[in-house]
Amino acid sequence: MNFEELFWAIQVLVGIGLLTSAIAAIRFKNLVSAVIAMAVFSLILSLEFYVLQAPDVAIAEAGVGAGLTTAMYLLAIKNTTDEEVIE
Amino acid sequence: MTVNGVFIGAMILLLFSAMLTLIRLLAGPTIPDRAVALDSMTTTTAGAMVLYGVITRQAVFIDVALVYAVLSYIATLYIARYLVKKRVGIAERPEGEAS
Repeated sequence: MNFEELFWAIQVLVGIGLLTSAIAAIRFKNLVSAVIAMAVFSLILSLEFYVLQAPDVAIAEAGVGAGLTTAMYLLAIKNTTDEEVIE
Repeated sequence: MTVNGVFIGAMILLLFSAMLTLIRLLAGPTIPDRAVALDSMTTTTAGAMVLYGVITRQAVFIDVALVYAVLSYIATLYIARYLVKKRVGIAERPEGEAS
């Protein structure tokens, strides 16, 4: 396997992972599970930027997605209730 | 088999294990399962990023893996502190309480 085939294999895997984690982040009823799924989404999006030869954008996405967004969402959930309210 | 082929094979194995961890994140019944799946997936992907930087011979790509490893550690720390404070995933819990 040469490098081009590896590139396209990574592209296919990243696409499947992005779609799956996004659907999971929408569909999860527990809010902490949804935040964890969104952290995974940010991780795979950072990997996509990385594979597309933009390491500075990948660093920015990693900082915002892994550090800032997860911490802020968890602080917000800690001050409210845990479960999603379904009428 | 050249050295580059060995690196590509190792990277394919790392991405496959990341996909298996994604399945555990989707199917994990409790929240600590999903948190451990997130931590394992970030570690595996950081290793895959280092291997990609080695294959393409660009030293800038190693820094992204370093930054992501540190930031994922901070995110896992936040989730663990939340789980400890909410007493989620502790072994002896009363029956009938939803996770």
